[in-house]
Amino acid sequence: MRKSTILLSSLLLVGSLLLTACSNNSNTNNAAATGNSVTATAAADGATGSAASSSPAPVPAGALSEPYTASDLSKLPAAAQKRTDTIIVGLTDPSGAFTPYFQESGYDGNVSSLLYASLVTVDEKGVPIPELAESWEVSEDQLTYTFHLRKDLKFSDGSPLTADDVAFTWTIQYDKAYDGGSSLPTLNVKGGQAYKEGKATTIDGIKVINPQTISVTLEKPNATALVVLGSNVLSKAYYGKDYKFGSLEYIKKLHEKPLGDGPYKLEKFIPGQEVRLVANENYFKGKPKTEHFIYKTSEGDVWQFLETGEVDYASFSATEENIEKLKALGYVNILPYTPSTYGYMQVNLKHEQLKDKLVRQAIMYGLDRQSIYVDAQQGAGSIANIPASPISWAYTEEGINPYKYDPEKAKQLLDEAGWTVGANGIREKDGKPFSIHYLGSKSKNTDIFIAVAKENFAALGIDFQPEVFADFNSLVSKVEGGDYDLVSFSTSMLTDPADGFMQFFDGEITDYENPKFLELYNKALATSDIEERKAVYKELYQLFNDELPILFTSYKKTVYAYNGRIQNLSVSPFIGLAGSLPEWTLK
Amino acid sequence: MSTYLTKRLLYMLIILFAASLLIFCLYALTPGDFITGNIKLTAERKAELREIYGLNKPVLERYGLWMKNAFHGDFGTSLAQQKPVLQLFGDYIWNSFLLAAVSTFLTWVIAVIVGVVSAYKQYSWFDTLVMVAIFAAMSLPSFFIGLFLIKILAVDLKWLPPGGMITTGSNATGLAYLNEVVRHMTLPVVVMVLLGLGSLTRYFRSNMIDVLQQDYIRTARAKGLKERKVLFTHALRNALLPAITLVGFELPALFGGSLIIEQIFNWPGIGQLYMKSFGLRDYPLLMGFTMFIAILTVIGTLFSDILYRVADPRVRL
Repeated sequence: MRKSTILLSSLLLVGSLLLTACSNNSNTNNAAATGNSVTATAAADGATGSAASSSPAPVPAGALSEPYTASDLSKLPAAAQKRTDTIIVGLTDPSGAFTPYFQESGYDGNVSSLLYASLVTVDEKGVPIPELAESWEVSEDQLTYTFHLRKDLKFSDGSPLTADDVAFTWTIQYDKAYDGGSSLPTLNVKGGQAYKEGKATTIDGIKVINPQTISVTLEKPNATALVVLGSNVLSKAYYGKDYKFGSLEYIKKLHEKPLGDGPYKLEKFIPGQEVRLVANENYFKGKPKTEHFIYKTSEGDVWQFLETGEVDYASFSATEENIEKLKALGYVNILPYTPSTYGYMQVNLKHEQLKDKLVRQAIMYGLDRQSIYVDAQQGAGSIANIPASPISWAYTEEGINPYKYDPEKAKQLLDEAGWTVGANGIREKDGKPFSIHYLGSKSKNTDIFIAVAKENFAALGIDFQPEVFADFNSLVSKVEGGDYDLVSFSTSMLTDPADGFMQFFDGEITDYENPKFLELYNKALATSDIEERKAVYKELYQLFNDELPILFTSYKKTVYAYNGRIQNLSVSPFIGLAGSLPEWTLK
Repeated sequence: MSTYLTKRLLYMLIILFAASLLIFCLYALTPGDFITGNIKLTAERKAELREIYGLNKPVLERYGLWMKNAFHGDFGTSLAQQKPVLQLFGDYIWNSFLLAAVSTFLTWVIAVIVGVVSAYKQYSWFDTLVMVAIFAAMSLPSFFIGLFLIKILAVDLKWLPPGGMITTGSNATGLAYLNEVVRHMTLPVVVMVLLGLGSLTRYFRSNMIDVLQQDYIRTARAKGLKERKVLFTHALRNALLPAITLVGFELPALFGGSLIIEQIFNWPGIGQLYMKSFGLRDYPLLMGFTMFIAILTVIGTLFSDILYRVADPRVRL
């Protein structure tokens, strides 16, 4: 029995890893629900390392709203006290595939985000800002992007980084043997398809203008293109040495010997144990302040490592209990954080009863989401009503229906939709009983959901049939087979607001056809003007909030706890540790 | 003996062949593949990737290809880890072996001694104490003991490290390295020994009790042999014979890794890797590892049969 419990939970772990697995942009760190992976870091503004105030802020209703500063650094375990030039962070499972665009797990992405810098990065709100590229221009028709690289950029071995490297990086992602998860091939770079089919030896749309300048032309406008194109750069001299069209196998041999241009370079990878990084003296912003950085592989519970001082930084679910326990340690600073993701239930729109908007709205009103996602989680969550995270620049609550728990309203809507209570208390329409077949992955949260939903649905007169999967792959197979009504998912890290609608374009949800949605979605992508986009997204969110092609559930809340000696730890929800890490110092 | 061996080897090959086919088909029939889990991919991209990985081919063709490569010593590349499967084994399996070998050795030594002594002194206070301890150890869940020991010995008392195999960031070599590894493996070994000890001690105890009641023991004693000689030369040898069968089964366990122990103590072993690969449907790694365990099992049984013959010439092979 206990074997199977561990087995199930590890499967679940894997499931959640997959669910959040980062595949398009190695800048994007991954949040796994397990609370022990390093993910995009907390959303505090500015530097928080200075131990200015020692009086803790009061904790409102289970969640920490303000950063909390360590109360007693003398309690710091000796192991952590001894370190002078090394910072250790726990990470679930780096596999050693450290080449961006070629890694399968988001945990490897956490590592490569420190080894490689990007052309363009994003600020705390997800707005693009320059990194390796000093500036860029977008043509009037929104099709051509011209990047101007900084002068004297170098890879960590001292070799120069030029526009040729950028061109090479983009090109190999159009190779027919490319099996990675980058979303660059979906941007439709001009001539990319021809290259992939072997009809051209170069990609037409990519033009190296001079060693510092490169432009790329797309076939149709896409506002996410800037960040996707502006990702990591691979050295052509190193990664392109053995490149022949149609064969990328050789790159696997280079995974464990990455050559990057980021703040750190790889010193040593010990499988299953740790990834040792050392400061890169050729980093364009200057050598990072802390010489050594180590990702320690830590499967499962990370508490013991924080308590013994073996790691300096860890993330936890923001439950009241966790926060109290962390404060009691005395030597950790705590940052509250909401990841850039949202949870939702996918609805089987093929099924007659769920095609009806009124029914979907009835379910939203009839489910006590507050109990399931907030109260039962001890405050480590909040309710979602739109396909965007509250930390996104596009997030809005204007004109958004919060769908407060209201069973009476739900019943009324069901009556309106023609589902009337039958003989045995189950609603019927045309002689068919109303039943909901729900799929979820095995977890404590699913257990809570099922317990509450069972009661809620019974009150509405809906027959509720939950099915729980220990294995994420099996769950997805079942969904692909169409044998479900509702299924719980969570998005992966969203960088651009457009990412929040991903499921409607990647083949997951194919049955929602609404010309208005497509029109607005494309309108938002066709411009790079943030204010203009904001307005369109507001309309889109209102549309989704009313139409409910998916049922919104919740946002997660986590806290980051870190060794109180670390200073200058500021955080951006979109790029993880990579943003501020070069500035970290040990007091 | 040699015809027997030839026959046995032939059977082994047939068994392995059948096992590999069965395992391959089982994996192929489990819903979902490596690509299914990545819900962010479009249907076209999924089809493209299945083509690249060869997952769109019929099961038997895939099996044939896999067998062909396997005969050439190529077990493919792990899809999730992007590394050759054999290299991954090399990275993880010896860590598991180290842990399993040390704890198995200790378990056997302690079990034999305790089993023999408590059988010899049946119903004494020592025997009673041992039986109580055994039942206590057998009824405790491994993760409970593991976490309990971590809490007491690592977190509160700080005597031993809470997990891992070396101190993070350590560059120790030679004796210092050895010392580090020994310190790190103490807790997992203690838990594994505690868990394995119960059933094995009971096994030896009851074997020994049976043997001690045999006529030849009485004869030996009647001849006036020293009690020690009776116990260790006459009785122990016969009591240990049935245990040889067990030795064979230990072999795959030595390399298989213990998922629970490795997980609790953050030990970089193959057990964890295997479970992760299953969740991801990383077929090359799963197939390679399962076949490896199947081969070890078959070799282990053969090994114990031969040992049996060496130990007891009356046994015909």
